[in-house]
Amino acid sequence: MSRWTSRRRRTSALIAGIGATALILSACSGGGDEGGDDVAEGGDEPILIGISLPLTGDFAEPGQGVQRGYELWAETVNANGGLLGREIELKIVDDQSNADRVVADYEALITQDEVDLVIGPFSSRLVLASARVVDEYGMLFVEPAGAAANIFEAGYGNLFYAAPAIADDHYNYLYDYIMEMPEEERPQTASYATMDDPLAQGAAYGLKDKLEEAGITTLVDEVYPPNTTDFSGIAAALAEADADLLVGGTQYQDGVNMIVAVQQLNYQPRMAAFTTAPTLPEFVDALGDGVEGVLAPTGYSPTADYEGNAEFVEAIAELYDREPSEDEANAYTAGQVVQAAVEAVGCAEQGECQQELIDWLHSNTVPTVVGDLAWDEAGRPNGAHFIQQYVAGQPEIVLPADQATAEFINVKPEW
Amino acid sequence: MSLFVQSLILGILLGGLYALLASGLTLYFGVMRVVQIAHSAFLILAAYLAWFFATRTGLDALLSLVITVPLFFVVGVGLQRLLITRLKPATLTMMSVLLTFAIALIIEGMLGFVFTGVQRRIHFSYGSASVPLFGAEVPVVKLVAFALAVLALGALWLILKKTGFGQALRATIQNKEAAQLVGINTDRVASYGFGLGLATAAVGGTALAMDATIYPSLHWHWIGPLMAIIVVGGLGSVPGAAIAAMVLGISQSLLQIPLGTTWAQTVFYVALFVTLMVRPQGFFGGRLAQRF
Repeated sequence: MSRWTSRRRRTSALIAGIGATALILSACSGGGDEGGDDVAEGGDEPILIGISLPLTGDFAEPGQGVQRGYELWAETVNANGGLLGREIELKIVDDQSNADRVVADYEALITQDEVDLVIGPFSSRLVLASARVVDEYGMLFVEPAGAAANIFEAGYGNLFYAAPAIADDHYNYLYDYIMEMPEEERPQTASYATMDDPLAQGAAYGLKDKLEEAGITTLVDEVYPPNTTDFSGIAAALAEADADLLVGGTQYQDGVNMIVAVQQLNYQPRMAAFTTAPTLPEFVDALGDGVEGVLAPTGYSPTADYEGNAEFVEAIAELYDREPSEDEANAYTAGQVVQAAVEAVGCAEQGECQQELIDWLHSNTVPTVVGDLAWDEAGRPNGAHFIQQYVAGQPEIVLPADQATAEFINVKPEW
Repeated sequence: MSLFVQSLILGILLGGLYALLASGLTLYFGVMRVVQIAHSAFLILAAYLAWFFATRTGLDALLSLVITVPLFFVVGVGLQRLLITRLKPATLTMMSVLLTFAIALIIEGMLGFVFTGVQRRIHFSYGSASVPLFGAEVPVVKLVAFALAVLALGALWLILKKTGFGQALRATIQNKEAAQLVGINTDRVASYGFGLGLATAAVGGTALAMDATIYPSLHWHWIGPLMAIIVVGGLGSVPGAAIAAMVLGISQSLLQIPLGTTWAQTVFYVALFVTLMVRPQGFFGGRLAQRF
């Protein structure tokens, strides 16, 4: 009996201790926030923006990139006098890359934290899960990373994808370019190998559908599960078919592994395009000279002459001594879109204001670091991705012609 | 036809790699009834060490074996002495799953912390080279990995069959109490056995690093197929694991032609279910697994 009481006492003491620590911690962070308030112009409350991001788990790397993009956007706006004269304050919570967590996060941000605005999480899977709950509360939902077709098919009127194009349209410039090539130079056959993933497969199949319609024969059409690590079998099928054009619907490791596997079997396509992998800096470290001529759609170019891009590139360079990543750029873009709507409508709070913001975005074009964006009813952006190609070992924009930094290499050197 | 020959060759090479990666896993179970969930995490750790070695020194990744094999042996012995022996014999198998699961998480977290989540690959001169054979192309790195598998499994076989330690180890596998009765220090034998298993992970991880892109959570993709291999081969049987690995590797590679990648991967699990239904002790394990 006495053992029990003493243990219970110890437990309650422990709980009290934890509680006290939490209080002290929140007091400290609260103090910091208040300090920020005083600085805000006009003495108004800051605009609180709720965001859930995958800061740990599968999407931790890109998730943290998105976080950097959002934070940089908020700092930039605050440095320029804030939004509607009010300071922006971000409340970022970690959803651990978990679709259940992300739903609970947005619910809590909207109802408990009573945020004024929300911005989207990272990756199609988490956007799809969170879009429903944000829609239920009738709030504007600008998201930086949900390009998969089914997000838009769900028909949320409040959703806007803050990037140039949905997955199906990523290769539009490449398709146009191929169609403009003289008949005899144009690839006649194509092989597709794609991960069973909405983004990667969406981009590859978007191109496949258009090319098939244009009469370019499909020789191989392989879909592999995301956990595939051995690509020798797929490479054997690709090498056997020997198509002119190879399209890989890839993320990262699968793209690199697939390229090495087809190199090993000495398959030399005249044109090769992969999603995501070639846009990452480690791609060159992994493949060396093999990257020359490899194509990829990319939603962002540091050299593009778009609204605020030079400023954004400079800020990232100052902070991290490198060029911005696509994730950072997409998050920054999402911020710009929200900012444009809020400034035009003149409000930022829950309630009727949200519908006004939504209506404004449906009928206006917003200049951003990835170009001028406008959306259809379902939130699909109207543009297409840049096409990037490795030229002399460097990733260069080759399409569209007016933003190109290098000449398109028609016949890929052997890898 | 050439696709068939090409796939068959690739399947054999893949089977060799599977055999190498699975051999340690079956050894742990054989010696101590330990289910080592962290085996694949140690493979990835070795792969990272090989990558780190190769990128820092510019030397061939294979040379990292000189460091990693003895290192992993010592770590294995230490792990067994300090952690595994603390588990109660009656619940050893179950609790070892929990314990090694924790170790796997620690290794994964540590790799992410030290090397970040960026996916790595060793780039070297013969990485994409191949030699022609019967109209097919045989990738040089896969040949090297296969050679590593043959050497490592050969060495393992020699140790188990030809040395006094091997005899003691096999005696411990077959009947621990009887082995103690004839004067074998089964504790020491068990810890060396564990070290030996981990040493194979060093070799396997290096082979993996030469022909794959690696990242901290990669080990979850490997542990399933490797577990399936050792159950099909018979828990505790190294030759059984090697044969099962070869059969499954070739099947996977050939089934890819008619079925595609997604369905070909299920061969491991189909084989696992069939084994558990028809011959739960595995096809080569014999008496050992019946106790499980």
